[in-house]
Amino acid sequence: MRVLMFGWEFPPYQAGGLATATVGLVKGLVRQGVGVTLVVPFPVEGDTLPGLRLVGLDAPTEAVRVHRVPSTLTPYGGTEQYVEVLAAARRSGSRHPYGATLFEEVERFAAEAGAIAAREPHDVIDAHDWLTFAAGLAAREASGRPLVAHIHATEYDRAGEGGNPLILAREAAGLLGADRVISNSHVLKRACTDRFGVPEAKVDVVHWGVDGAPVAANVPRWSPFQDPVGGGRPPTVLFLGRVTWQKGPDYFIEVAGRVARHVPAARFVVAGTGDMLPLLVRRAAELGIADRVHFAGPLQGPDVDRAYRLADVCVMPSVSEPFGLVALESLRNGTPCIVPRSAGVAEVLRHAFKVDFWDVDEMTNQVVALLRHPELHGELREQGLREVGSGRFSLEEPARRTVDAYRRALAARPVEG
Amino acid sequence: MPDICIYAQVHQPWRLRRYRLFEVGAGGPYFDDETNARILRRVADKCYLPANRLLLDLVRRTDGRFKVALSLTGTLVDQLRRWAPDALDSFRALAASGGVELLGETYHHSLAALGDAAEFEAQVAMHRRMVEAEFGQRPTVFRNTELIYWDGLAPAIAAQGFRGVMVEGADHVLGWRSANHVYEAASAPGLRLLPRNYRLSDDVGFRFGQRSWEGWPLTAEKYAAWLAASGGTSAHLYVDYETFGEHQWSETGIFDFLRHLPDACAREGMAFVHPSALAAREPVATLAFPEPTSWADAERDTSAWLGNRIQRAAHARLYDLRPAVVASGSAERLDAWRRLTTSDHVYYMCTKHFADGDVHKYFSPYETPYDAFVAFMNVAQDLAQSVAGQPADRPAAEEWTHLAGMACVA
Repeated sequence: MRVLMFGWEFPPYQAGGLATATVGLVKGLVRQGVGVTLVVPFPVEGDTLPGLRLVGLDAPTEAVRVHRVPSTLTPYGGTEQYVEVLAAARRSGSRHPYGATLFEEVERFAAEAGAIAAREPHDVIDAHDWLTFAAGLAAREASGRPLVAHIHATEYDRAGEGGNPLILAREAAGLLGADRVISNSHVLKRACTDRFGVPEAKVDVVHWGVDGAPVAANVPRWSPFQDPVGGGRPPTVLFLGRVTWQKGPDYFIEVAGRVARHVPAARFVVAGTGDMLPLLVRRAAELGIADRVHFAGPLQGPDVDRAYRLADVCVMPSVSEPFGLVALESLRNGTPCIVPRSAGVAEVLRHAFKVDFWDVDEMTNQVVALLRHPELHGELREQGLREVGSGRFSLEEPARRTVDAYRRALAARPVEG
Repeated sequence: MPDICIYAQVHQPWRLRRYRLFEVGAGGPYFDDETNARILRRVADKCYLPANRLLLDLVRRTDGRFKVALSLTGTLVDQLRRWAPDALDSFRALAASGGVELLGETYHHSLAALGDAAEFEAQVAMHRRMVEAEFGQRPTVFRNTELIYWDGLAPAIAAQGFRGVMVEGADHVLGWRSANHVYEAASAPGLRLLPRNYRLSDDVGFRFGQRSWEGWPLTAEKYAAWLAASGGTSAHLYVDYETFGEHQWSETGIFDFLRHLPDACAREGMAFVHPSALAAREPVATLAFPEPTSWADAERDTSAWLGNRIQRAAHARLYDLRPAVVASGSAERLDAWRRLTTSDHVYYMCTKHFADGDVHKYFSPYETPYDAFVAFMNVAQDLAQSVAGQPADRPAAEEWTHLAGMACVA
């Protein structure tokens, strides 16, 4: 079986967990013996071939071919951020033939996709989220192969009720037009059926996995900070994710303010960037903890693991979190985490605190307990490492289920000839 | 043909409120009255009242030939008195019927045997006084919390005047020997051990309603035939009382099963016997329990309560507090502390099978074992501060500065 996959971010070009999820899925599929042709739109500066990172793993070299389509598409920014990116690209003098708006980009990507689909052999098409849905539909038009709409988050998750109607329309077109839908959690499946009217029987739930064995328990923890009292590494609390409404970074800062009253030596790290960053900086100052909140900016590659390992606890106060890969990555690094009760990952993960994203008092209660009681930290760390290392969160499991979904798509749309 | 000895455990814990960090220093309240009242009322209606009615009926109908033993914890009786006096009355009627023997145990269903010898002695004495005052019986057979027993505990039990102890008939203790005999404690001559026949007990306690079980449906006749064929001189069947109507719903037929059991056993030629009568019999051999053994999980050890580091930390924290709580001279605080000794609190913190969503989760009011630990430790901290007269847990530099500034202005 060969799948023609339309993604939008791939290391090192990533803004969130989707690149990680895409890599994981591709790896898992390749291990299942599925051929993957991945088509990805990269930012203009994307001169390197990230596909080389994949080929270096145990995947057969020919199984993954990465097509690059020059583009300024980024998955999460929406149209306003697009304009900023475009302006920056113009300032830097790069010359690429992109369209004037994000939606034109999507159309151009779709047109390219049709051409690629016409010449690349494949049995099934898999398109990830709204930016690639048009491409997926165009590819199906060109090749007649069944389309799977792979949904990781909807505009409702990113923007609540104030989402962009044009994006919502794209999402509806993809979800309703596809032969099958794969959702990364039950909570997101409910959004597909209730918000978009997708028939329930058309949606398969495939929870994400993480790659490889847990980071060995003896990997050293480290810290760039020094405890002013003891001189050792101070207790550290981590937020890792886009600094946008969806991820609830403002709740994190409120928790930080409360935790600091009980654990004055505690440090708080915000890893990521986004439109709420100025607000966070201001609020940290208001709370009198500006000296203890560190804004690390967006992290990539090994720095992500280093961030988890400098922290004693990772807090995810996401307002909306269809899955929440950060939780699994945190546990893989031996860092206990607090996940929102409504997150997709909370459906499958047991050894983590679960909390309502707005309940800053409860999060404070849990964070302080973790910082104060080494036994609690040790038990959550050990059990979390064990759980995330169990077969339930491997890459094989989601890949197997994805192949099942592909088969259902093939059955739903028999291929002529 | 063995005699039949049935004993059921009747217990409810004082569940804690989600005591948060911000309440540390507030001095309570620690316990979730609303939840405790709701659960107690539900269990009273589904289990205690109908089961008591049935037992009383069976005792009367058989002219006392039907005999059972119950053990009621002090925490249960305190809650009955408060929220289900009708159920407490029905237990009193049972105790007065002559067919129901009451056992001795720790008042608070605690792990005091593993935590503090003096506390164990105190709680056993408290429980005996409660049973005498409330039900007019003086227990002569003992059951420790969750049947936790080992050789080192036997002298303390014998010293309290008990003549027999309910123990788990664990394979690793019995080896080739049958649970259906009266044994003698290796470390306390004269103290009889009555090992639980766990297979026959769990047929009723766990498997009764399982349609996938090969024994399903279990009728009184079928079960009586199994008992008759089980050998030895006395079959010891120990279950949670909540088996009747709560763990096994009425719809499974559990009450009908119990209703027909006396006649079915009589037809097989078997008689019912109280534990105290068994404790007067000659033992067939001595049994040694080198390690603490319980009736819980497959391990039959104490790992359900003290198996991981958060459980051990909570247990240690609690018993470290005892001298200060006792020294405070506050009856109210000592009572609160003792309610914290109830084993359920550390049971909720069990992580060993948590990922499978097993029986531990079924009984826990918490979403995760970690939430149980956090609430417990916050309460322990509050209690510690209240007996030490420490200030509230608010070392916020800004706040103190702020208050100091106010004081200056004043």
